[in-house]
Amino acid sequence: MIRLKITVFCLVFSATSFVLGQDFKFGKVSKEELTENVYPQDSSAVASVLYRHQSVRFSYTQGVGFKLLTDVHERVKIYSKDGFDYATVSQLLYKNGSDAESISGLKAYTYNLENGKIEKSKMEKSAVFKTSRSKYRNEEKFTLPNVKEGSVLEYHYQITSPFYSSVDEIDLQYDIPIKKLEIAVEIPEYFVFKPLMKGYLPISPKLGTKAGRINYTSKNRSNRYSAATNFDAQTIEYKINTTHYDIANVPALKEEPYVNDMDNYRSAVKYELQYIQFPQEARESYSTTWEDVIKKIYESDSFGGQLKSGRYFQEDLEKLMAATTTESELIAAIFLHVQGRMNWNSIYGYGVDKGVKTAYKERSGNIADINLILTSMLQEAGLNANPVLVSTRDHGVPMFPTREGFNYVVTAVELEGGTVLLDATNKYTKPNLLPTRALNWFGKMIKKDGTAKTLNLIPKKVSRESTNVSVVLKANGDIEGKARKSYTDYDSYAFRNRYAAADEEDYLEKLENRNNGMEISDYAIKNKKTVGKPVMESFTFNLESQANIIGDKMYFSPMFYMAMTENPFKLEDRNYPIDFTYPWQEKFVMNIKLPEGYQLTSKPENMNMALVNKMGSFKYQIVENGSGLQVMVDLKINEAVISANYYADLKELFKNVVEKQTEKLVLSKTSSDGTADSSGKSR
Amino acid sequence: MRYVITTKPNQTKSMRLPVFLCFLFFSILSLAQYQALALDETLTKNANAVLRLDQMEIEIHSKKEMVVKNKQVITVLNRLGNRHARTALGYDSSKKIKAIEIIIYDKLGNQIEKIKKKDFTDVSAVDGFSLYLDYRQLYYDYTPISYPYTLEFNYEYITPDTGSIPSWYFLGGFMKSVEKSRYSIYYANSALKPIIHEKNLESIRFEKKETGSSIVYTAENIGAIKQERLSPTFGKIAPRLMTKINNFHYKGYDGTIESWSAMGTWIDEKLLAGRDELNEATILEVKDLTSGIEDDLEKAKKIYKYVQDNTRYISVQIGIGGLQPISAIEVDRVKYGDCKGLSNYTKALLKAVGVDSYYAVVQAGADKVDFEEDFADLAQGNHVILTIPHKGTYYWIDCTSQVLPFGYIGSFTDDRKVLIVKPEGGELVRTTSYVDDDNYQHIGASYVIDSEGGIAGNATIKTKGVRYYQHFRLNQDPKEDVIKHYKNQWNNINNLKVSEYSLNDDKAEVTFSETVSLNATNYASLSGNRILFTVNAFNNNDFVPDRYRNRKLPFEIQRGFLDTDEFTIELPKEYSIEAMPKERQIETEFGSYEVAYTYVPENNTVKYSRSLLVKKGYYPKEKYSDYRDFRKETARLDDAQIVLVKNQ
Repeated sequence: MIRLKITVFCLVFSATSFVLGQDFKFGKVSKEELTENVYPQDSSAVASVLYRHQSVRFSYTQGVGFKLLTDVHERVKIYSKDGFDYATVSQLLYKNGSDAESISGLKAYTYNLENGKIEKSKMEKSAVFKTSRSKYRNEEKFTLPNVKEGSVLEYHYQITSPFYSSVDEIDLQYDIPIKKLEIAVEIPEYFVFKPLMKGYLPISPKLGTKAGRINYTSKNRSNRYSAATNFDAQTIEYKINTTHYDIANVPALKEEPYVNDMDNYRSAVKYELQYIQFPQEARESYSTTWEDVIKKIYESDSFGGQLKSGRYFQEDLEKLMAATTTESELIAAIFLHVQGRMNWNSIYGYGVDKGVKTAYKERSGNIADINLILTSMLQEAGLNANPVLVSTRDHGVPMFPTREGFNYVVTAVELEGGTVLLDATNKYTKPNLLPTRALNWFGKMIKKDGTAKTLNLIPKKVSRESTNVSVVLKANGDIEGKARKSYTDYDSYAFRNRYAAADEEDYLEKLENRNNGMEISDYAIKNKKTVGKPVMESFTFNLESQANIIGDKMYFSPMFYMAMTENPFKLEDRNYPIDFTYPWQEKFVMNIKLPEGYQLTSKPENMNMALVNKMGSFKYQIVENGSGLQVMVDLKINEAVISANYYADLKELFKNVVEKQTEKLVLSKTSSDGTADSSGKSR
Repeated sequence: MRYVITTKPNQTKSMRLPVFLCFLFFSILSLAQYQALALDETLTKNANAVLRLDQMEIEIHSKKEMVVKNKQVITVLNRLGNRHARTALGYDSSKKIKAIEIIIYDKLGNQIEKIKKKDFTDVSAVDGFSLYLDYRQLYYDYTPISYPYTLEFNYEYITPDTGSIPSWYFLGGFMKSVEKSRYSIYYANSALKPIIHEKNLESIRFEKKETGSSIVYTAENIGAIKQERLSPTFGKIAPRLMTKINNFHYKGYDGTIESWSAMGTWIDEKLLAGRDELNEATILEVKDLTSGIEDDLEKAKKIYKYVQDNTRYISVQIGIGGLQPISAIEVDRVKYGDCKGLSNYTKALLKAVGVDSYYAVVQAGADKVDFEEDFADLAQGNHVILTIPHKGTYYWIDCTSQVLPFGYIGSFTDDRKVLIVKPEGGELVRTTSYVDDDNYQHIGASYVIDSEGGIAGNATIKTKGVRYYQHFRLNQDPKEDVIKHYKNQWNNINNLKVSEYSLNDDKAEVTFSETVSLNATNYASLSGNRILFTVNAFNNNDFVPDRYRNRKLPFEIQRGFLDTDEFTIELPKEYSIEAMPKERQIETEFGSYEVAYTYVPENNTVKYSRSLLVKKGYYPKEKYSDYRDFRKETARLDDAQIVLVKNQ
């Protein structure tokens, strides 16, 4: 029997990497660590990681193959009661069929300072719980004993994983600060991984090599004429590539509002397998460049393989082709057919779930099932259609070429006039209007020859919400009027997703209450489900006390209930981009009839302001006409994503919007001879 | 297109007949039963889904064997109704699922899909806060391909836990109607005859049939209820049944419980006995801690503080552990536990220093739910607290909190009937209530309006009762969160900057005080040579409950509150008052409002005083619009403005 055994040497770090006066050997918790009552650089921290060492390495067993071993040693400081949650640790473990990751060697202790003496409490086995979370995930959780404000916790465990081709993403930044973090990754030369970094932390890993050795005993016959078997001790020597990350004082990652996904900004390193090459064996290639990633995806059965046969929809396609004459009609007909027929089962993925054939028959499927059917039908109809790989907004931005970087697929059709993007997994999308979940920077279009092209997915077209109102202001401050509203593009998409299925009366009640309890009658809606056209609403309304009557004057904002009264940007500064999802415009035109016996005394000044580079603008204009006023207000944000550099400008713009929209207009009672009894207009 | 009733061999002869009849009955009806095109409008009004048939059959074979069969057939009318289509079943180690399946019908009632047990996904149930639960779930995610469609969900399980007989809701929730609801219990002998407690059944038409071995409730055509602002929670108004047997088995324990008194004895003898032991060292430690203190209440305060300083909340629920605390000695060793473990531990520590306390089971939550006076069962209650009787008063403490003051329970367990476990038996007692002016807030402020419209000033906020509960956690928050809190609290002041603040948590008086210095540009609006500003800058309450075209449900104010505010406003020098709002008093059955303005010429200031009292109450739907008018008027008055004009 051949037995291979790998000998692995423990890492030894040079003493210079230690913070002065601290010993990170397991169990060597110091009094200084126990007496520290606040994190020096951030007094708001409820806990901190004093030290974490994580090493990733490979081991080999004959008949089993390579395994991935991850050692975790962590020391955590608890500053306040809100930090107690960090005394419970959860480790997710992947499983697939009979292969599963497992944890061994778990030990954990809590250290407290009692009357000047360090006291140590051991975690018992009864505090460890293993749960099967889903088909693919186990979870191991444990909680430490005797935790108080000031405690230091320390634990160690090893994860053994049979999934050696996939090294989990290693976070380099947590929700609490880290004092010292050491990551060691050791990979035998047979495996070539590419480290991919993300986040804002400056990190420079140290690269190196060391020798690895496999000692094994083999059985062989010394010569062909002898029947005797000899046992030889043999050795294979190979190179191990090492990478050390040694980082100190990592600030906590703090949430900010209007951020697409905080994890996009978390510093982390991801190891993506490029190829495996054993001696005297052919190279087994994984992904390295975008081209490789895309080729690999395209060649897989669950993706490119799904585009090969169109027999399952042939009959339907022929009908669609027979009924249309132009190319654009055909695209629309195929899109509407797939959108109408198919139903998304809420599962993401660029690889199919059921397979296109089954999905088509059952009329439901995941993202890939549906959009690959769409692609395939368009191709079969002779159009230049191709799938586009996408990473959804909550999946992060794919900054590096990795297969895991994508989780979604849409369709692109190239026409003479440009490229049309299609997604049939939502009932209210249309050509060149993808669901908002898919609007995340760029997609990779894969052509039939396996080459790829980068497509920008961020919408350029401005979605509009326009409101036209004619209002009669009464002498008691109530208003009545007629309103017409229209919503285009993403504004209509959002409207339909929220209200198209809702009961009308229920919707109206919500609309009334959203507008300060106005009473609505004669409601009509057009194009509620006609996706190509803007949603149009009209109604008649009554609303009480929209003007302050003080003495013989009336004060009111000419935007009435429609005014933006609160600046959405409240924080002083901001680190991350402001993500509006799509460019938008809110436009109001109001014709206001003033009450009899009142006359305009003063009105807000007109305003016209814009952000640099035409990123946004705000216009406000009041014109007197006959017995009333016309007010025009136009707020426009032309970019879906605005860099944090412009945060102050954006905040200032919205400050002006709020001020202008809430600014009051003054009316005075006219005396019997028809003139205002207050002296003239101001400014 | 016919469904299968999962039959099982019956234990007794007498039971075979009704089950068989029932099988026949449904077989005949099932032929075109689930078409979804011609439903009665009483069912589709306000409904996104119609429960066509909701049927539960419970068979109690013995004290240790219960079989539960459920059939739910639901027609989903639109996308919003999908969440009402139940496709999951929870279980634990004592509950064995014998059958589970889903059948899908199209709008014509044709069967289009059948999902078998093997197609279901098995996952651990997660409650969001427990470290571990031995509870699992079988579920299936169905993707509808067109609307309307009908989903039939059938399951059957067997369990020895007759201590938890499924209760029954004739309506499963808001916005859901029911065509036919049927709840039946068969029992093997008269000793197993269930006791059924009826709640809110006056709102539906139902039929109850009893034989010597069965009880059957049926109801038909129950319209959907729409949730409305301030309406009582669904549980309070829902027609439902609570069911128990007096001699039961639960997670390895037998019990005989006819009353709350007996329940208390059972908990005391079966679940708590022997669990209050402590080691000598700990007993000495707490004795030392309280040495020299004579008063029991003072001792209890010391012990509560000791528990708060030394333990934390960790929830682990396995088997009877859902009801039984881990022992005090174990909590003492690891210094954590769930509500039961920490309460029992605290009780043991109190006992060690000679102070009596009672373990108390409560239904916790912001919504007040009483234990049913004449119906004692294990299903009521989801939390445990502790009470210390002292000179005729009960002092309540929640041992899972590290920060609450002694004797204060906030809106989590206040003002409701709970079960206290006394050695001589259980007893229902009402916890401390915080109503009307108990929930007090006072804001005293002085601020300056400048000629550019800016505001600058100081505000002092004092809170008590449940208002304290809403504020005192600020003390734990980091500075940036506290400032965010003020920006949100005063979102009526744009461009707000907080320059300084200080907080004080007086736990003895249960009063929280905040002092905040702030300023903002453009608070007042300039209009020509006039300045307009809303006088009530710091407690502008714009709450107006939603208007309903046709209000259906009564409304409830569970606690009420009293706010008093006194502001001094310094006006810009070169301006004088052109218009000032008038004082006003409003008195209603829901509460009262008062506001007054006084100009003090000596220092060009305005004194503003305001109070708003909203009283606890439960009112019929007819009064809703009166209440809405009251709040509309107070919101309007809170928005009143002073107009200043520049001196010529």
